[in-house]
Amino acid sequence: MVLVTLVRDYINRMLQDISGMKVLILDSQTVSIVSVVYSQSDLLKKEVFLVELMDSISKSKESMSHLKAVYFLRPTSENIQLLRRQLANPRFGEYHLFFSNILKDTQIHILADSDEHEAVQQVQEFYADFVAVDPCHFTLNIFSNHLYMLPVAMDPSNLQHYCDRIVDGISAVFLALKRRPIIRYQRTSDIAKRIAQESGKLMYQQESGLFDFRRAEISPLLLVLDRRDDPVTPLLNQWTYQAMVHELLGIQDNKVDLRTIGSIPKDQQEVVLSSEQDAFFKANMYENFGDIGMNIKKMVDEFQQIAKSNQNIQTVEDMAKFVDNYPEYRKMHGNVSKHVTLVTEMSKIVEERKLMLVSQTEQELACNGGQGAAFEAVTNLLNNDNVSDIDRLRLVMLYALRYEKESPVQLMQLFNKLAAKSAKYKPGLVQFLLKQAGVDKRTGDLYGNRDLLNIARNMARGLKGVENVYTQHQPLLFQTMESISKGRLRDVDYPYVGNHYQQARPQDVVIFIVGGTTYEEARSVALLNSTNSGIRFILGGTAILNSKRFLKDLEEAHRQIRSSSTGV
Amino acid sequence: MATRNRTILFRNYRDALKSVRAPTFDGITPSTTSSSHGVELTATSLLHPSTRRYAPLSTEDTAASSKGAVEVGLPPAWVDLSEEVASNIQHARSKMAELGKAHAKALMPSFGDGKEDQRQIEALTYEITDLIKRSEKRLQRLSAAGASEDSNVRKNVQRSLATDLQSLSVELRKKQSAYLKRLKQQKEGPDGVDFEMNINGGKSQELDDDLDEPIFNEQRLARIKKNEAFTVEREREIQQVVESVNELAQIMKDLSVLVIDQGTIIDRIDYNIQNVASSVGQGLKQLQKAEKTQKKGGMARCATVLIIMCFVMLFLLILKEMLF
Repeated sequence: MVLVTLVRDYINRMLQDISGMKVLILDSQTVSIVSVVYSQSDLLKKEVFLVELMDSISKSKESMSHLKAVYFLRPTSENIQLLRRQLANPRFGEYHLFFSNILKDTQIHILADSDEHEAVQQVQEFYADFVAVDPCHFTLNIFSNHLYMLPVAMDPSNLQHYCDRIVDGISAVFLALKRRPIIRYQRTSDIAKRIAQESGKLMYQQESGLFDFRRAEISPLLLVLDRRDDPVTPLLNQWTYQAMVHELLGIQDNKVDLRTIGSIPKDQQEVVLSSEQDAFFKANMYENFGDIGMNIKKMVDEFQQIAKSNQNIQTVEDMAKFVDNYPEYRKMHGNVSKHVTLVTEMSKIVEERKLMLVSQTEQELACNGGQGAAFEAVTNLLNNDNVSDIDRLRLVMLYALRYEKESPVQLMQLFNKLAAKSAKYKPGLVQFLLKQAGVDKRTGDLYGNRDLLNIARNMARGLKGVENVYTQHQPLLFQTMESISKGRLRDVDYPYVGNHYQQARPQDVVIFIVGGTTYEEARSVALLNSTNSGIRFILGGTAILNSKRFLKDLEEAHRQIRSSSTGV
Repeated sequence: MATRNRTILFRNYRDALKSVRAPTFDGITPSTTSSSHGVELTATSLLHPSTRRYAPLSTEDTAASSKGAVEVGLPPAWVDLSEEVASNIQHARSKMAELGKAHAKALMPSFGDGKEDQRQIEALTYEITDLIKRSEKRLQRLSAAGASEDSNVRKNVQRSLATDLQSLSVELRKKQSAYLKRLKQQKEGPDGVDFEMNINGGKSQELDDDLDEPIFNEQRLARIKKNEAFTVEREREIQQVVESVNELAQIMKDLSVLVIDQGTIIDRIDYNIQNVASSVGQGLKQLQKAEKTQKKGGMARCATVLIIMCFVMLFLLILKEMLF
């Protein structure tokens, strides 16, 4: 079972046993959880006629005793407080409370105390506490995602909150899968270690009864990684459909907001890009940009044919046929114009920012050696006035990550040039990135130049040549997944939590990246899963990154650390 | 898909707290079930008003009494409408199943003339179309203006019923057009050829033995007449079916305004919530604006009235001065 169906089943079970007209009440987090897998028309089929947010429902006083309230909330203390107040003055006929995670006894106590009218019919824990954007890719949508880069002592309460949310999310995934995992983490990352240990404590000590599913099969694996182990992937320009849309336009909960671009017809201002609902997108989300263009052209041609056949209506039969096919025709019309709009907008941006040129150098930096040539290419692009500021910054970062130790003088030259060229550049940001994610901090062999085997592999690839210069980069995650499936993930680099060790090759692997995933990584997970290797990988993260988001997090962490150090 | 039911623990806590809260009234407190809500509510508010803890007494009392009234009273009137439409749809669905059977029966070759079947089909089709039409009219009445929660509920109920209705009408149309096609096939197919041949054969035979067998000829003529009547009948049926198809198409057009396109942004839950929030905000703004303009209008009117009064008084004053 995949994540999307799991969450769907949870919601189905929530709604199907309660007959009659219902109102569904969500909080700001569960809205995303429900929205990515369930649609308004699905809800209407289940007789849910009103969906409201927790804060807006508590403002209104209108009594609606003919409705039954179904609450689906995260068990946070704010939600409990709001709920307590609402239960004291019940507005709805019945109250069915569903929580997305483990409730504390005190929280149940508070609710029981406020339920004087005995309006509550049931209190349940349904562990759908993650946003399942794709079948094997989930995110937790944590807003202040920069926290993982801060040292522990700086903001302990917020950091604790951040860790708690992650542990909640991870444990919910395993509860939904009905499994208890073996846990491993990345050695060099403090936050990964902390999360792995807290999850282990929850699953094996605090709630060991809940996680005991009495299954004889081999335990799945949970691997907790740190984004800083692979800072290159979120910095690259992307050329496969889903990743590219996210990089250039931004996807939030499978929605793309086009309002900022302007001159878009009203019904296309915000579009849905969901692999579950859109067959064309499902077929093409991992294709590269050139193929997308071809496929869209094919789709448009098909559509035109249908449109033409709809135009000559002469007999009554034609008319009847047209009316029969009209809903599908309309759906197709919307779909075609959506994808055409997206691709047009993206090619405009590619043209404007000279991304073909920039991306070629980026890929060279990420994949191939040759420091001298790389320096020259980066310098040229820095001098090119058509290249945007953010691309310059990324180029320098990629260069710095790659040739951190090789020639400090040239690196300094690039820093100075960047500072001179880009007005918005905040000094020290690249250095901060190096400090956070430099070669000393990384566990994985990001550039494949640490051991002989990898060097040999790289050389072999160089000799073979690549078919597409723009998509030659393989995220580090791919290597990690390969080592897992071959059982070669080193115990020294990725230690176990507690004394639960892997006996055999796991069948389910959940990889959680603290700091966020990228769609490029999700793509390689999906492609690997489709080869039927016997292992199913699930990827999750605190957020879904594009370069803008990654740089924003970096800047925020940089700012906070600087202000705290000057303050002290 | 693990779940954990905490209801029992919750109930235990709740019962424990209740017994702690009102130990002296233990004997009187009625045993409660979920169905006897309203009664229980008013009873508790009468019996121990002092046990309320979370709000000041006065507001709590009004809230409780209004709540009790609603609990005892009926749900809003539109619920009846929606239930009527729902039952209509249910009814139409069962009729639809009957219609399917009737179609199958009518298309089967039989010894009778099939009039009975035809009549049944006609009646059923008419009934279903009528049900759909009626439901659609009712549905239009469900809509409500404004941006309150209740109107949202009504809009959504309307949408869901419209989706049901649309799928029903699509189904009916598909059934009808399939039937129509089969009917035409039967007419043009083997039957039709047979019929033509009969006529041709009849003619040639007529020429051959012109006056030999008048009785036989009459028989044949009668058969031809009967066949003609049969075709006319079929023609009429086809016409009827076509008409009802058109009618349904019209209804479908009306409904499609209400039905949500699946897979689009309108079908997203979060989008709808945002939209409602923003439209509520806009409504509030409009209301404030309206209030302002109204106030302004009132003031302006007042001022004009006063000025006019001034002039009238002045006129009267002048008159008074001049006359006396």
